[in-house]
Parts: sequence; structure tokens; C-alpha cells
Amino acid sequence: MSIFLDEKTKVLIQGITGKEGSFWTDHMIGCGTNVVAGVTPGKEGQQVEGKDVYHSVRRAVDHVEVEASMLFVPPRFTKDAVFEALDSGIKKIVTVADGIPLHDTIQIRRAALSEGALVIGGNTSGVISPGKAMMGFFPYWIERVYKPGRIGVMTRSGSLTNEVTAMVVSAGFGVSSLIGIGGDPVPGTRFSEMLPFYEADKETDAVVIIGELGGSMEEECAQMIRDGLYTKPLVAFLGGRTAPVGKRMGHAGAIVSGGKGSVKDKIEAIESVGGKVAERPRFVGDLLKEVLGL
Amino acid sequence: MKLFEYQAKETFKKSGIAIPKGVLIKSVSELRSAADKIGFPLVLKSQVLMGGRGKKGLIRFVKDHVDAEKNCSELFNSEFKVNTILVEEAVDIKSEIYLSVTVDPVTASHMIIACADGGVEIETLAVDSPEKIIREFVDPNYGLMPFQIKDIAFRMGIKRAVLKKFSSVLGKLYLAFLENDAELIEINPLFITRTDDVIAGDGKLSIDDNSAYRQTGYEKTREYYDSDAEYESALEGIPYLQFDGDISLMCAGAGLTTTVYDLINYEGGTVANYLEFGGPNYKKAVRAMELCLKNDSKVILVVTFGTIARADVMARGIVDAINRLNPDRPIVTCIRGTNEEEANIILKDAGLEPIYDTEEAVRKAVSIASGGSK
Repeated sequence: MSIFLDEKTKVLIQGITGKEGSFWTDHMIGCGTNVVAGVTPGKEGQQVEGKDVYHSVRRAVDHVEVEASMLFVPPRFTKDAVFEALDSGIKKIVTVADGIPLHDTIQIRRAALSEGALVIGGNTSGVISPGKAMMGFFPYWIERVYKPGRIGVMTRSGSLTNEVTAMVVSAGFGVSSLIGIGGDPVPGTRFSEMLPFYEADKETDAVVIIGELGGSMEEECAQMIRDGLYTKPLVAFLGGRTAPVGKRMGHAGAIVSGGKGSVKDKIEAIESVGGKVAERPRFVGDLLKEVLGL
Repeated sequence: MKLFEYQAKETFKKSGIAIPKGVLIKSVSELRSAADKIGFPLVLKSQVLMGGRGKKGLIRFVKDHVDAEKNCSELFNSEFKVNTILVEEAVDIKSEIYLSVTVDPVTASHMIIACADGGVEIETLAVDSPEKIIREFVDPNYGLMPFQIKDIAFRMGIKRAVLKKFSSVLGKLYLAFLENDAELIEINPLFITRTDDVIAGDGKLSIDDNSAYRQTGYEKTREYYDSDAEYESALEGIPYLQFDGDISLMCAGAGLTTTVYDLINYEGGTVANYLEFGGPNYKKAVRAMELCLKNDSKVILVVTFGTIARADVMARGIVDAINRLNPDRPIVTCIRGTNEEEANIILKDAGLEPIYDTEEAVRKAVSIASGGSK
């Protein structure tokens, strides 16, 4: 069993008739995802890739069983779409939207916490269990990156994920479940909240986190290890070691501010609990071998 | 988007928070009438976005017209590119407080930060006297409650005589935080005057860029940016940071670009500019290269590993940009991701030597920048 999703998970696509929505629905099905239906207001009765389209999530769940929802919805409508999915009792939601207003992200996360739901994203490529299923857009056909295996990966980045995961694979490993937490300052779900799932997953031997400057998610992972809630090996690659203070490096969340969020602090936190931090993407594979005793 | 002090104060004023009497001037010639309107002694506050203005000598207290004129022209002619000065009354203060509202990503709350010792930067406070910093978490579903405001005031030791005014300022600041889609709204210092008035001595307001569509009225103009290139790229929606080194980065993906930035530093190279042309900008190679060429860089380094940002489209864009712009410096490419095989054919046909490994590409760029072989 993978974490978050596998080939059996029943996935709804919100925004299925849009250009991105229909294009990636095709690829998600190609990757093995069990897409059960789609939603686009005003388009009920249509089909996309053979899947029925409904006006609303409420109408979709009246007809089919849904376990997870994938959102291809523009950033300014994302909050509404997340709340619509939560309203129908959906507990796993992935949003890839890049540019969700900050105050919306606070409300999204707040709602997810109080509903006991996992909202992954925004500003992410999504979630993939290579060889089984994906929600989002990953070039799963690139074998030197998305090879099935026993390493869990969590990331705040897109292109860098391809770069680092390629190093994991070239060292002879593969990926069990990859969760794109996303690059926003307030992601729906945080690194540390996914660690217990990896801990419980029999198909994961170790976790690689791809982090960067800014925020405190890497430090929270260290705390999980300290509290004994995650006991498998952890290897991190962190971008922005040499980034100047006060400059926002690309992602809105990637900034050292208020004296907090430097990569130096993150390295200290992770290493203090026995985690390993790779200075370069290339070193991730060797560190994995080291921590797994290979 | 970080706003200037005078804009933050305009927002405070609209929200009902008291601010000192002030006039904004754009040249020394406007000084006299401004000073007459406000009266001496007054403060000349340079409107620049960098922190630590006091230490840099960008805030001057002046006592008369001669003094004012001398200082004012010094400020306009300083190295800090001062375009506007806020001429403000010198408030007779008893004490200074720190007050701000921001978000807490962990608990998904709004967060009030307060400290009875204001006037210094919060970073300094956090190091020197962390025990004095008060944090109050606000449930975004319900907003800031009166009991929370009172509790903050009591913990700060706010005197009874100013309690009502202080509470009103905090309540209004919180509402302004919401209404403006702020990442941060800060009053530091918040003055308590000798007559027990509560006045915003300084103001910071940073508006969430993702909310720009519903926060109209803040136009992106040149004065918000440190360089022409940063301004031009902001108008294009291309993430760009100006540095002064030798290697222009033209990469895709924020995390990957940041990593390439690190790798260049490890290899002893220096970065001229950080530029991302991934995501929605992956078809903008020509514009991106044009921005890179404005730098005195010695080489342009292209590193990508995209999914939606297809490698073949980016490779074709690079070749197109080279043909159109005829760059006077070498281009090192490391383009991977969706359709990478096709991308490599395109690059080779154009006479480039594509590299597939990020570190190898970085080493080549550093070697060229340091005068090695092209």
C-alpha cells in the first residue's frame, strides 16, 4: 500500500473539461490512476476520457464513490473548489494551482485541519506513487526519475524534484510515494504531517525531503524524529545555502525573514537528530546507501 | 509587494489609526512649503524600501529651514537613490511599542506580534529579548476578539490612560491586515505621546502578490525595484533578481534555479542574475535572454528539468533567441524533462553542445567566466 494514493484510489477531477484538466486526466489514467468522474459547472452530460462530467461535487458523489479529488482550478477559485470537495466529505485533495492568495491558503489549511482532511498543495506538481497512480502532473514516463522503489520523497519544488529524484534513481533506488508539498508559504499539508504515513508504510525504507530556505517545515521534521514519531532514515537536500538574507528566491515561501528560515539552521536541526543533509543533489544517493547500510 | 512607509501610513489613516502630520516631497524645492505647513522641529524620512534607515542616516531630525535644506539635499543626493522624502512633525514621545500582524503557517492562524520595547527591528528583539515578545494567535474564522486585545495590552503593561486608544489601534490594524491581503502589516514604533495619544511612528505593509487581482490601486512602478532589469522582468511576470557576478542564470523552476545558484557559489563562480523562465514563462526565451544580456555577465547558463515546461519548446526558444539577439557571450545549456531527446537534437543542429548533467554545466559556465576555454 502506498501512502495517499494507489491504483485503487477513486479519484474525482474538478475542472476536468479545461485544457490542463483534460490533458492531465489523460496522463493520470495513463499512469494508472483510477479516475472515476469529473466536475465542471455547466458541463454535466459530457464525458472526458470516457469519464462522466457532473455540474458539482455534490452531484458527482451522488452517482459515484469518491475518495480523493484532484483540482485543476485557477488560483482565485481554488478556495471555493477545496471547500466544495470538503463539503462532500472528501478527505484527500490535491491542488496544483500556482498563485492562490495567501489569506485563502490560511483558510484552506484551517478547514482541512478541522475536517481531518489532507489538502496537498498548492503550487505543486502533486502526488505520485510511481507504477501505480498519480494526482497532478509528473513526467512519469521519464524512467530515470519516476522509477518505482522503496524511497519516499517529499518536496517543496517542481523541477528540483526531477533533478534530485533522478539522483536517487541513478544510485539504484526507486520511489515509493512522492508528495509535492508545494512552494507556497502556507501549504495545505506540511512535511512533518506526512512523516507518520511514511513511518507506517511497509513499502518505504527511507525518506528524502527536498526543501529550501524559508519557513520551518524542515525543523518540524527534526522535531518528529526527536519525538520518536518517525524512526526510519531521513536524507535531505536543501536549496538556498548561499542565498542572501532578505531575498525571495523564486518561491514565495523561500525567504529568510525575521532571522528565521536559513538553510544553516535547518541543517543543524536535521543533523542534530541523526538525519543526513546532502550538500549537492548528486550526494543524495550516497547518503541513502549510507543510512540504509548498503 | 512591499509598500513605502508613506503608503502604509495612508492605509493606517484610512483605517482610522492616527499618524503624525506629514507632507511627501519629491525635491528640495518643495521643502519650504512643507516645513511651513508642519512646523519645526521636524523629521525628514527618506522613502526607500530597505530596512535600517536610521543606521544608514536616511532619517534626519532638523530644527530650522537652513538645517532642513542642507539635510534634505544630502538625502536626495545620497547613494541610496532617494526619490521621495516624507516631511513629518517630530512627535513628543513617552514610549515606543512594537505591533504587527502576520500569518502563522503551522497553525493556519493570523498572528499578532507585540512588544513593549519598540523602535528596534523585530529581528534584533528576537535575539536580545525573546521573552518580551508576545505572540497571540487568531482564528481566521472568528477574527481578533476583544478579550485577546485586552490580554495583549495587559501582558505588555499598557497604562490605563492609553488602554482604550491602544485597543482601538490594534483592532484597526488587524482589520487593515485582512482588507489589504497583507503578508505583514507592522507599526514600529507605535508612539505613546506625553499626552497619552497613540500614533503610528513608522509603517510597513507588504501585500500578497497572489492577491494583486483583488488589491488594485497599487501599480508596479520603477521605484519599487532596485534595478531596471528587476522592474522590466516584474512587468513581464518573470522572476528576476539582480546580482553583480559573471554568470547569468536562465533556468526553470524556483527550486532548481536556487540550487544552481548554490552550485555556482560552491564552484567559486559568481552570479550576475537569477532568472526563472519556467512555469507560465517557458515560451519567453527571447525576452529572458534579452534581460540576461543587459548584464555584464560573461556567460549565460540555462538549466531546466521541466514537465509542462517542455524541453523541446525551451530548446527551440533558446535557438530562436540566439538567432534574433546574436549574443556576444557563450550559452551553456542543460535542458532536460519532457521531450528532452528532441530538445537535444534541436540544440545540436544549432551548433550548441548540450550538457545533461547540472554540475557539469555549472563547472563549464564557471570555467568560461574565469577565462577558461569556450
